[in-house]
Amino acid sequence: MASSAAAARRLLLLRHRHGHLLPKRHFSSSSAADGLDDGGGGGRVKIFDRDLKRRHRDRAAWAMRETDGLVDAVAENLLDRLEDCRKAFPSALCLGGSAGAVRRLLRGRGGIERLIMMDMSADMVKKWRESENSSGDEPETHFVVGDEEFLPIKESSQDLIISCLGLHWTNDLPGAMIQCRLALQPDGLFLAAILGGETLKELRIACTVAQMEREGGISPRMSPLAQVRDAGNLLTRAGFTLPGVDVDQYTVKYNNAFELVEHLRAMGETNALFQRNPVLKRDTALATAAIYQSMFGLEDGSIPATFQVIYMTGWREHPSQQKAKRRGSAAISFSDIQKQFGPSEN
Amino acid sequence: MRRTAALLSTHGGRSIPRALADVLVCPLSKQPLRYCEATGSLVSDAAGVSFPVLDGIPSLVPKDGKLLDDQEVKSEQESSTTDSSG
Repeated sequence: MASSAAAARRLLLLRHRHGHLLPKRHFSSSSAADGLDDGGGGGRVKIFDRDLKRRHRDRAAWAMRETDGLVDAVAENLLDRLEDCRKAFPSALCLGGSAGAVRRLLRGRGGIERLIMMDMSADMVKKWRESENSSGDEPETHFVVGDEEFLPIKESSQDLIISCLGLHWTNDLPGAMIQCRLALQPDGLFLAAILGGETLKELRIACTVAQMEREGGISPRMSPLAQVRDAGNLLTRAGFTLPGVDVDQYTVKYNNAFELVEHLRAMGETNALFQRNPVLKRDTALATAAIYQSMFGLEDGSIPATFQVIYMTGWREHPSQQKAKRRGSAAISFSDIQKQFGPSEN
Repeated sequence: MRRTAALLSTHGGRSIPRALADVLVCPLSKQPLRYCEATGSLVSDAAGVSFPVLDGIPSLVPKDGKLLDDQEVKSEQESSTTDSSG
């Protein structure tokens, strides 16, 4: 408890140091958070540099490949869940991350008529708008630049919210999910895929070993990610009903560690921690690649990288949904049931 | 078909499609936004912030918003009393 408070203080200090970089006349998101999250304590902690993430995504907009095997697999898995629902979702909101892949792979699933696509990066949104595919069965699509932490969507207006690999970069994940729940209509569906704690464990280890060896200390090179056990709690805490969580692990093979980092850049998934060390020495980078190769390299010379994806499903509450009875509401005693159905004691 | 719809909406003086404008709210106050034709931006009267619309895409990241001076808000409200709010 005390250590987490100390960590929060440290982060606050860091944020203040970054504060002067913000242009004065712009409405800074940190001051907005101060204003909004006064009650909620946890909302003040800033772990990720959302501005930097925005620039990462600007870069990813032109660096990204047309189709990305990993992203497509995740989006396909996420959208597959729509086929399990008998309900149609006329209005849908698609948040950040790999929304482009979601839209491409949608293929009429979920009965979506109006799709709103939102991302922090204006370049990314423009790229999505330009890549309108010619097939006529696409839903009516609109584009917005917006921040998941400050969702600009009217309350109870959407039937479906999909977030594919985007929410793990939010500072206040429960807050972002609560905003999603509020934007959903009753009986609306929330589908999200986030990267889990096992992601890139090989790179994490290689980075740490290389930094210890070359620099005599370590700095955070990877973001803290949600663990699987957190995901269910997150859904319940955000107030979703019928929560469902499942995990998938993907292993991607690369020729070398630099190719892996290139791929991360193209996905916009590079380090955006406030506490990051902005300098990466060439020496350390080369050592990391060498250690990665020697510790985890496969026989054919390629290196594996693990991506753990946590899929979360939740619904906004609705009277038609099944739910447990209230505590103490039972009118029949268990001993009576046992007398009726249970085997005789002797 | 979507393109023509978009063209029509710009000719009609609205740069944001109706369907989109109906569901957008101010990211800070969650109150409705008003489209200001003079500046081509979305104004949140509750928070006193205007958000730009770039190339037909509304940008509702809090950092992109500009704080409005009180006088500016008043004069805009006066000039756009006939506008339907977005």
